[in-house]
Amino acid sequence: MQTLTNPIAVNSKTGDQPFLLIEEVGKVYPTKKGDYTVLDGVNLTVKEGEFVCVIGHSGCGKSTLLDMVSGFNTPTSGKVLLNGKPITKPGPDRMVVFQNYCLLPWKTVYENVNLAVSAVFPEKSKAERDEITRSNLHMVGLDEAMNKKPGQISGGMKQRVSIARALSIRPEILILDEPFGALDAITKEELQEELLEIWEEHRITVMMITHDIDEALFLCDRLVMMSNGPSAKIGEILEIPFDRPRVREEVMEDPRYFKLRNQALDFLYNRFAHHED
Amino acid sequence: MTILVDVDHIDKIYPLKTGGEYVALRNVDLKINQGEFVSLIGHSGCGKSTLLNIIAGFEQASIGGVVLSGKQITSPGPDRMMVFQNYSLLPWLTVRQNIALAVDKVMTDLPAAERKDIIEKHIDLVGLRAAADKRPGALSGGMKQRTAIARALAIRPKVLLLDEPFGALDALTRGNLQEQLMQICEEYKTTCVMVTHDVDEALLLSDRVVMLTNGPEAHIGRILNVDFPRPRKRMEVVNDPTYYPNRGEIINFLNQQKRDKRRKARKVSEEKTSIPAVTAVKTVEKSVVTLGYVPTTDAAPLVVAKEKGFFAKHGLTQVELIPDSSWQTIADGLANQRLDCAQLLAGMPLAMSIGADRKRPTPIVTAMVLARNGNAITLSKKLYDDGVRNLKDLKKAIAATPDQPHSFGLVDSVSMGSLLTRYWLASGGIDPDRDLSLSIMSSAEMKNQISKGFIDGYLASEPWNSAAVKDETGFVVATDLEIWDGHQNKVLGVREDWAQENPKTHVALVKALIEACEYCDDRRNREEIIKMLAKPEYLNLPAEQLRPGFIDPFQRSLDQAPEMLVRFNQYYVEQSTCPRRAEALWILTQMARWNITPFPKNWTEVLERVYCRDTYGQAARELGLPDSVDDHESVKLFDGLVFNPDDPMSYLASLKISHEIRVEEIVFEEAPAPRSLRSKSLAA
Amino acid sequence: MATASARPANPIVEKATEILQSLIAPVVCSSAVLLVWQLLCSSADSKMPGPIKVITQTIGTITGGFAENGIWMQLLNSLTRVGMGYVGAAVLGIAIGVAIGVNKFLRDGFDPLIQILRTVPPLAWLPLSTILFLQTPKPAENAGIFLIFITAIWPIIINTCVGVQQIPKDYTNVAKVLRLSGKDFFFSILIPSTVPYIFTGLRIGVGLAWLAIVAAEMLSTGAGGIGAYIWNEYTSMLDDSISKIILAVFSVGLVGLVLDRFVGWLGSLVVAE
Repeated sequence: MQTLTNPIAVNSKTGDQPFLLIEEVGKVYPTKKGDYTVLDGVNLTVKEGEFVCVIGHSGCGKSTLLDMVSGFNTPTSGKVLLNGKPITKPGPDRMVVFQNYCLLPWKTVYENVNLAVSAVFPEKSKAERDEITRSNLHMVGLDEAMNKKPGQISGGMKQRVSIARALSIRPEILILDEPFGALDAITKEELQEELLEIWEEHRITVMMITHDIDEALFLCDRLVMMSNGPSAKIGEILEIPFDRPRVREEVMEDPRYFKLRNQALDFLYNRFAHHED
Repeated sequence: MTILVDVDHIDKIYPLKTGGEYVALRNVDLKINQGEFVSLIGHSGCGKSTLLNIIAGFEQASIGGVVLSGKQITSPGPDRMMVFQNYSLLPWLTVRQNIALAVDKVMTDLPAAERKDIIEKHIDLVGLRAAADKRPGALSGGMKQRTAIARALAIRPKVLLLDEPFGALDALTRGNLQEQLMQICEEYKTTCVMVTHDVDEALLLSDRVVMLTNGPEAHIGRILNVDFPRPRKRMEVVNDPTYYPNRGEIINFLNQQKRDKRRKARKVSEEKTSIPAVTAVKTVEKSVVTLGYVPTTDAAPLVVAKEKGFFAKHGLTQVELIPDSSWQTIADGLANQRLDCAQLLAGMPLAMSIGADRKRPTPIVTAMVLARNGNAITLSKKLYDDGVRNLKDLKKAIAATPDQPHSFGLVDSVSMGSLLTRYWLASGGIDPDRDLSLSIMSSAEMKNQISKGFIDGYLASEPWNSAAVKDETGFVVATDLEIWDGHQNKVLGVREDWAQENPKTHVALVKALIEACEYCDDRRNREEIIKMLAKPEYLNLPAEQLRPGFIDPFQRSLDQAPEMLVRFNQYYVEQSTCPRRAEALWILTQMARWNITPFPKNWTEVLERVYCRDTYGQAARELGLPDSVDDHESVKLFDGLVFNPDDPMSYLASLKISHEIRVEEIVFEEAPAPRSLRSKSLAA
Repeated sequence: MATASARPANPIVEKATEILQSLIAPVVCSSAVLLVWQLLCSSADSKMPGPIKVITQTIGTITGGFAENGIWMQLLNSLTRVGMGYVGAAVLGIAIGVAIGVNKFLRDGFDPLIQILRTVPPLAWLPLSTILFLQTPKPAENAGIFLIFITAIWPIIINTCVGVQQIPKDYTNVAKVLRLSGKDFFFSILIPSTVPYIFTGLRIGVGLAWLAIVAAEMLSTGAGGIGAYIWNEYTSMLDDSISKIILAVFSVGLVGLVLDRFVGWLGSLVVAE
């Protein structure tokens, strides 16, 4: 664990060329009552192949931050660079998986994925695109549900389709916005494990928003905890040291797990407790 | 503490449209004390909300009932105010009006001014002064739930019922509300029952966490007492050294249930796809059944069921009783499918399922107890001559001759008799593995060896104790009645796959044997039974030898008057036949204590699977008998030590003479079918 | 929370700018329509008057509209009729809706009848209602009011009934726990939670009623009203008749819109957000 007073300095120790660089990012929304500062001076460097989780109370601007990486939003000040190039608009190199799946209800599972593949790889032949679609659906275990429509499958399966779709276009960063928030506990754990397996195999860079401390501790390499808005910034970053591949039972019995969990709890409930109204 | 809410052995059964019925809750028994905070936790579909609705009065129990301070609950009422997950505020009323509606309609005997005071006080209590005149639509989820809590508390209910009160709020927003609710409840000493699926929430708020197993037939799997001092603070609670062990217990339980759920789901889908034949069969699947046993008086129910036609009555026209000389042969016979079912020593189903003695595990289920009690510990004539009369004397005698080897005979390492002997020795300060040498042999061999002075004592069932007394080669130092009156001794065991393939045969078998047990416990029938047992095809012994204990008074030694032990062979009375999970759990603790098997970390799962109460329940119901017992009742053995079936770990820790306890996750389920996911590769 | 804005803001100026901005699109598009209309009707042999001609020809009608048989008086006449029929439909419709909503027997019994009658076009009732009220002092007047009533009542009944059936379990559970009496349940839970549905019905009803009255008055001109006004202009076919008809049609549309919005606004007062 490290308390980041100067995150850039700490991260520069790694010496790697930063893959994703978020530097002094601020976001200000003009409102009728005046300017509203959502984020202020956010600094974060993500290495290639890293799994980063972002946690914070609602309204802490974590979604805004992710939107800037996906390109749906742009910073008012500072910069967001991917491989040294500024991010200005959404693109297939940064694929987002939303909590509410965002599947087209009138298309089958196969067509939903194939649509993305065709849009991103127009130069590939139909057979190649078919192969990509099928292999990605196979990866998430949906071979048999391929011809079903989203309305006919469970929430967990929908989210699997969504993940397959995101991965099928080979993004450089996978962005997950509370992907498992709407699922029941059992399905949630299954999907977490599947996501980890896929990630471990492909070492794709992942940025994920979550509300669930246990989920974050199980999945990520670093847990980024945001302070409360307005003018939210990164309050603390926890390094999650568990060996990979991770087995849930082992992680949860690791004494370090309890320590990290309590640190996160302390940050969220004590030091940056959220008081509505 | 006074009991405020008594959930008295309730079942909740829903009729299905397809005919048949769905048993949501089975035999749920829970007593909630005044001022206590109880959480109900379990996976979705475990019936925890149904249970809460029954307490609230929205639903009625099919069997049993709920009593609130002396009155049975039949309909909803303001003394059991509910806080619903979706708040249930009236959207056209403001915060104040919502609270006022409840106060004005319920506390009608109070003057208006006083009611107004109550309303305002509760608005302040939940910190909603600034939002008092807002309607729910203008409030955040957390504020809505605070309004609902204020409304509920304002009418001073005897019990506050909370149905996943914070489930709709995001994980982090819950924090404040939980602490606020906790403060209010501590201040007002409100009795609360809360349904939740959040382990941290349950631990933070509750005095007891009640864990429910999956439906159908959901029941209380475990109860965890949460002893953090009050008033509690979240960070203090999570930093308490017992917090994570406790949390682990609950999570562990939920994980077991999760596996169980997956297993059931797989089973259902397999049934759907494969064999419709099983469900179509109206009568038993198999009428030819091979049933193995070791010939002792405990075989009485089997012999009676055959001879008196109980098997045939239930459609089992060809049951073949196969005697075997040793329990090991029986176990092998079951494992290699030579036998369909067998009479087993009480510890065998668990030991075989877990895989004791480095044997390959064979999942066994036991659906009924065939015999209780019936053992005694015999010591040699030499010890008797040295003045040994009881356990204390034995300890002295052994301590006095440390250089001499002392040995004991046992029939099997996992028989209840053997575990009780070890327990008995240990509670007298004798370490059975250090101070003695224990060897496994047949009962006949024991009697032979003690007469030659090769062993100092043994534990056996009849007639092997009385025989030694009669020959003056030994004396009975204790009967198992004195150690644990009413313990299970022999059980019925079948392979799990057999039980799944032949559910109707299994039930028919249990029904026949329950009726046989009833026959055996009627003392008027015992003379007849002795004659049957003595036959050459069964025990092949003179009838006279079988009488002591079974019919005749039991003689401990030649210079003592024989005494009548009515319960020495117990088959039926006091729901003898029902397999009790608490007893099974005790066996697990003892097998771990003596390093026979590791203690299963997932012990609830092991018990649920091995102690098959579905089958017993169905058989008992079809016979018009009670179908279950309390699995949470504590057991007290002769030395006064209490075994609490909800807390085996502390029990294990409290045992003085013991091997080091190995706690392991027991996975005796076939590996889950490899998902396509696990062998994937990305194209492109 | 917001940090103080840098630029000074005058609330009145801001509000005015906002309103003006919101008017730009409607003004532009309406002007375009008027322009096309004017161009299409500008040839000498066009029988239809252009917008300019319509305005010049109807200035007198507009200003003198409050005289007896003037256009506004006829409009008022129609409105009164609609008002009477509609209020009757609302009162009876809500009562029947609640009754069949809470009582399954009544609901099952009346449902087929209601389903058949609600699809009957308003004008199909006209001959029947005329015969029905033939003996009364003002047959045409009463027939018109009845027509409004019978047209508007169905959506009110159906929506009220649905509203009663759709009372969320959340609310009935509260009533059960608090053991509310029948009367308390009716006034504290049933009516407030049904109100949004009732107003949906009322809004559909008023639209239908207004549609029906114009047509009805055209067919039975004895009692006057805006429908009769249009019909009279059509039959007389004077020089300025077409312009007057256009003015009347436009007014009918405007009143219809106002009625719809008025009921909607009334609903928003009663229904909690």
